[in-house]
Amino acid sequence: MITDSSYYFAFVFALWAIGIYCLATKRNMIRLIFGLEIMINAADFSFISLATGIPGFVDPLAHSIVIVSIGLAGAVSAVAITLVVYAYRQYGTLDVRELKHLRG
Amino acid sequence: MFTPTLDLLLVFTVSMPIVGWAALKIHRKVLCGVYAAAGLAIAGVLLYELFLEVSQNMVISSPHIGVFSAYLRIDMLGVFMAAIFIGLGFAVAIYSIVYMKKETGVPIYFTLLLAMISGMVGIVFAGDLFTLYVFWELMCVSSYVLVAFRRRKGESIEAAFKYLIMSGAGSATVLLGMSFLYGMSGTLNFQGLASAFGQAPPNPWLYLASLLILVGFGVKTAIVPLHTWLPDAHAAAPSPISAMLSGVVIETGVYALCRICFTAFLSVQVQWLSILMVMSVITMVVGNVMPLLQNDLKRLLAYSSIAQVGYMLAGLSIGTQLALTGTFLHLLNHALMKGTAFLCAGAILYTIGTRQMDEMAGIGRKMPITAIAFAISLFALTGLPPLNGFVSELIIVTAAFQSNLAWLGVAVILNSALSAAFYLRIVRTLILPIKSEKVASAREAPLALLVPICFMAALIILIGLWPDPVIRIVQQSVAALFSFSGKVMG
Repeated sequence: MITDSSYYFAFVFALWAIGIYCLATKRNMIRLIFGLEIMINAADFSFISLATGIPGFVDPLAHSIVIVSIGLAGAVSAVAITLVVYAYRQYGTLDVRELKHLRG
Repeated sequence: MFTPTLDLLLVFTVSMPIVGWAALKIHRKVLCGVYAAAGLAIAGVLLYELFLEVSQNMVISSPHIGVFSAYLRIDMLGVFMAAIFIGLGFAVAIYSIVYMKKETGVPIYFTLLLAMISGMVGIVFAGDLFTLYVFWELMCVSSYVLVAFRRRKGESIEAAFKYLIMSGAGSATVLLGMSFLYGMSGTLNFQGLASAFGQAPPNPWLYLASLLILVGFGVKTAIVPLHTWLPDAHAAAPSPISAMLSGVVIETGVYALCRICFTAFLSVQVQWLSILMVMSVITMVVGNVMPLLQNDLKRLLAYSSIAQVGYMLAGLSIGTQLALTGTFLHLLNHALMKGTAFLCAGAILYTIGTRQMDEMAGIGRKMPITAIAFAISLFALTGLPPLNGFVSELIIVTAAFQSNLAWLGVAVILNSALSAAFYLRIVRTLILPIKSEKVASAREAPLALLVPICFMAALIILIGLWPDPVIRIVQQSVAALFSFSGKVMG
């Protein structure tokens, strides 16, 4: 069932790669959170595209998983944005390069 | 809903803010901590009942029908791990009553602490990968907030953000890996995964899924190229939380790796474990070299956690029954040793207000009880004979030699020897002549901080001298872990 949906997989991997690229190169804290969300969306999309294993039948398990996963992603980004607000109050910038208290 | 232990923890988590609010109204901040500790104590009692039940029936499954139900599958391994989490959580809750007295937002602190412990207990009770993932996120989200608990300090916010981004990317990667497992087998439950992949020849998708899951859980476990968040987050968190993060949170990653390795990845296990073996050696070397350069006590202890994770992964990567006994015994021992070490570091930080080692020279002369407990935990971390760290490292090394992996055993031994260099440096700092005024005017830490520390230090010695009962439970846990492969391979 995993073989005949290669377009979906191309899309999933593209999304995942965009997310990783975003995390690796962007310097703005909000953009980093976007990168994270894109990665989670890639996983969600992968679940949805794999739910139609048997023709004419859609597995509700994958859909319930995705609903819960969206909720969890919302919680994570709420926490992340709270941290961004405090970081902005502390440093007056959203650039992660300016956050220099910690080293390696 | 789930199982009594987990239900109770969740009820206490939800009711904590209300109780905390009421406690602040009547100006009894202490009540928050007492309520949390009471919740953990009752959860411990319920866990004991569960233990009796599991030792008779081997496995308890909860049905997954109804609105608020999840598929749980509780075996001896789950009970053993949950006992570690609840035990250390209880010690930390008592310790926090005094330690967090001066902070604001104490009810929220205890709520998050309980949420984190419920998340971890849920992880080890989960019967399918998605339940595991949901509780994993519960644990992660509450730990992000706890790292950033001192929200006016740039350091905490920065560490928490770094932690969130890395750990969040790890979770997303795990979810992607899980979706492939789901696509291939149509199920996420451990039993189903074991029977779907146990005998079938591995295909490329399974390799891909295993790689994604290894990387994803590896971030949380702090396997070396993915460890960079750990020293920051563990040093920036309040000390009791550092004890939790270092003592048990990273170990849930080891647990998840073990669990998935013996269910879904049975057919690719050989390749998987050989990758882990190389990673474990790199992890322990980096974890033992980096602390040599540190002056910040909590950062040093955080790096040494990476080394300890390296030992546990070495045990997992050998993959025999004996080696996994060593791994899980080391999980328990590490929770005790590193918990005590961080709580002692916290007591010193509480008294003199610094984490820098050169400013705390001679503190052991002023705080003898803390210093003795600290020294016991450090000797145990080094792996000195009468203490518990020695027992589990010995089991891992023995297992390595038995499986003709002498080089791995030698690597573990050399690394323990190397680690003595920085552990002994801390002990030396404790007994140096007193230099600063702050240290000269310091007094022994309050009793409420000393009670959990001394209790855990006593357990370190006790398990070191008489490990048999614990080893018996660990062996049953390992048998429970192996039961999936046993059924499949016949």
